[in-house]
Amino acid sequence: MPASAAGNRPEELCERLASVDSGVRLKALREIKNQIIGNRTKKLTYIKLGAVPRVAAIVGDDDSDAPLFVQSAAALGSFACGVDIGVKTVLKSGAFPHLIRILSNQDEKVVDASARSLRMIFQSKLAPKYDFLNRKDMDFILSLLNSVNENVTELAASIIAHSCQTGGEQKALSDEGVLQKLMNLLTGSINQRDASLDAFAAIFRNNSELISKFAGFDNGRKTLGPVVELLKDKYPRTRLLASVCLIVIGQASPCHLEELGVKTKLIPVLVELLEEPGQPGDDAPFTLANFVAGKEELQKLAFDANAVEKLCKFLRKTAVQPKRFEGLLLALSELCSKLEICRNQFHQLQVLHIVIDALKHDSTEVRSAACYCLRSITRSVKSLSAGDFTNETILVPLVQLLRDPSTSVQVAALGPLSNIAVDFTPRKAIFVQCGIVKEIIQLSKSMDSAPRLNAVWALRNLMFLSDKMGKESILIELTLSTLASLICDSEVSIQEQALGLVCNLLDGSIDSIEYAFAEDGKIIKAVARQVKNATNLEVCIQGMYVLSNIAAGNELHKEAVMDHIIPPVSSGGGTPIITSHLRSSDSRLRTASTWCIVNLTHPTSTDASDRIARLRNAGVIGQIKSMVNDPCLDVKFRVRTALEQCTTFGNAAS
Amino acid sequence: MSLFWFVVGQLASTETMSTSKKVITREEWEKKLNDVKIRKEDMNKLVMNFLVTEGYVEAAEKFRMESGTEPDIDLATITDRMAVKKAVQSGNVEDAIEKVNDLNPEILDTNPQLFFHLQQQRLIELIRNGKVEEALEFAQEELAPRGEENQSFLEELERTVALLAFEDVSNCPVGDLLDISQRLKTASEVNAAILTSQSHEKDPKLPSLLKMLIWAQNQLDEKAAYPRINDLSTAALEDPSI
Repeated sequence: MPASAAGNRPEELCERLASVDSGVRLKALREIKNQIIGNRTKKLTYIKLGAVPRVAAIVGDDDSDAPLFVQSAAALGSFACGVDIGVKTVLKSGAFPHLIRILSNQDEKVVDASARSLRMIFQSKLAPKYDFLNRKDMDFILSLLNSVNENVTELAASIIAHSCQTGGEQKALSDEGVLQKLMNLLTGSINQRDASLDAFAAIFRNNSELISKFAGFDNGRKTLGPVVELLKDKYPRTRLLASVCLIVIGQASPCHLEELGVKTKLIPVLVELLEEPGQPGDDAPFTLANFVAGKEELQKLAFDANAVEKLCKFLRKTAVQPKRFEGLLLALSELCSKLEICRNQFHQLQVLHIVIDALKHDSTEVRSAACYCLRSITRSVKSLSAGDFTNETILVPLVQLLRDPSTSVQVAALGPLSNIAVDFTPRKAIFVQCGIVKEIIQLSKSMDSAPRLNAVWALRNLMFLSDKMGKESILIELTLSTLASLICDSEVSIQEQALGLVCNLLDGSIDSIEYAFAEDGKIIKAVARQVKNATNLEVCIQGMYVLSNIAAGNELHKEAVMDHIIPPVSSGGGTPIITSHLRSSDSRLRTASTWCIVNLTHPTSTDASDRIARLRNAGVIGQIKSMVNDPCLDVKFRVRTALEQCTTFGNAAS
Repeated sequence: MSLFWFVVGQLASTETMSTSKKVITREEWEKKLNDVKIRKEDMNKLVMNFLVTEGYVEAAEKFRMESGTEPDIDLATITDRMAVKKAVQSGNVEDAIEKVNDLNPEILDTNPQLFFHLQQQRLIELIRNGKVEEALEFAQEELAPRGEENQSFLEELERTVALLAFEDVSNCPVGDLLDISQRLKTASEVNAAILTSQSHEKDPKLPSLLKMLIWAQNQLDEKAAYPRINDLSTAALEDPSI
């Protein structure tokens, strides 16, 4: 019979939860429980009606009998299952301590119900954390682990998986012999096994010391072997959790994964899991993405295991759940991040339009993931130079995302735009038509550093090999003062990108070098300040390249650079900044600095001999001479060129 | 010329191989089998596993007392599980849902597909009983939101609601939903889910052993002639045909 008939309407049932007659309360509880289990809509309805605090009151009432405890605990567990707002409401209702209290009830059914209910709560990120450095919490968790009740030990493992975060906690748990107890759970019920794998991952995360200790003399063959065995388990969820656990071990301590010989085994397991319906199949692409991220060798293995083909196949399926869709896109983005063969296959399978459509998806996460995927795909130099992406079908939706309500989507959208921007010159019109430049500049002024960084990055790529018109159109929008302040941004990474942008701006002709001196030399002053004061190596390198580009200009330009790299005699001298950079232990900074000297002493310029004299007096030429046998070939060749130029003039002068 | 002789040579050798199948007489075979030791307890466990999985609770209880074999599951849960199964088989789906929830509320809360199939079965029963209005209301209130959450549920829902559109449901393209086999399908899905939630295999072990026996015999047929078991119900050894 439909729930709305015969006095089973939610409002009425809610009323009855507060009845004085415990029989009426029990009946109402059971009815509500049966209505909400598996039914998201009903859960939300009852939460809105304020049913949760009433149920919490029943579980907190000492006079409640076992059936009331069982039904109320079950109802609370269901409210907390699969609905975030449900967990929130249950926690807010104060039911949590009551549920903990009835864990030690005499009636086994009450214990089961409360343990199950608590486990639902601990599956959410919102659940309270236990502090394992606190004796009381530790004793509590140990008492749960030692219980004979399966649901209770499983709960203990879930609490560990949820709460254990710091190295100190990991060590404390291990010192109390928890790892051994979890090991025993691996031979228990399916649920115990899964919860235990989860807990293992939490205790091992980023803790190579603990892993080594636990692995013991045979590198974990005996202790970790059972986890490896579970990769072949019948249940997909168990296979997935075992994979996650081993990946955690591998990321903290690569040698152990190597020793166990599972690195190659994991890929096919994960690829196969993609086929699973439900939770394991939803999680598998995320796990795969995490595993291969940044590791070309693993990406190749995944490619060989047909991962790209499978991912694309699922992408094609209509009506993929948002969560799974996001995972598929992320996994593809990792797989295509380095290898051209993966990108080729992606193109052959013709799924680009699906990814482009995903840019308009309702879910924020899916939109971001689609951007990440496109970023990897647009890394292909081959496709870029063929101009594959410089068309409105892909650019228009990307630009729209620059105004997305979510900052993370804005940042993600800048990724592929930056890549496509490298292809700016020949098809500039499209970028301007789509209003991209304007939107990106808007983001470069964002208060949030993430979009600011990525926007500057995109602009840097837009500047790359751009013609005068292109540069002009960007600068008009951006303004020199914004650019100068970006050079001195509070974030080092933004400073670096801004200097890179200036480098591309000044590259090419005498005309463009003039930008550095416009508005009272705003840009060159900012650059010089960074070259002099920056402690970050990358910033110094980029700064020196900007100065090198300026030093390639006319006499005035060169003189300006001289003034910035050698202190005026009036200031009493000291080690010139260029000398300290030439002495850097980083060969890239030495190269950039030597380039600057090469440009300053170029024989075609009229005042070269004068500059050489000043450099010699400041000890810079001496420094260059000491570098003729620099271990870095690049530096060595530039040093030779510089010295040859200096001697040409030296001879002429004498 | 040489190639020709080579091929003939190969044919000849295959022929000798096929005719030279090893023959094992019944005597030899029985002697070999006698050497294989099987522990009584293992046999008992297999029988117990069969009784438990198939839900013969009284037999399991008797067997436990007579043989001293402990079941790997609380026998009381079998009664509950069989009650659920029976409720679905006889069309009392609501009753079945309540029973599953009493057994373990997680089963239906974490298994949307099973939950949907039970609700779908409930709808089918309403339609079967001619309660059109109630069926429509139920479909709208309970099932439509599930369809919104999952595309494949929506398709199944549409197929089920289509039952209402036909005068003669026995002769319509979706008539199979009203078939008793649909109830059995749903019942077995619930049964499997309950077993899994109890960390119990959803299939008994004995059928797998017999499957393996048939497979092994097929493999052996290529190499030898031996007394074969053809009738599984009697497990009688039949003399090899030579």
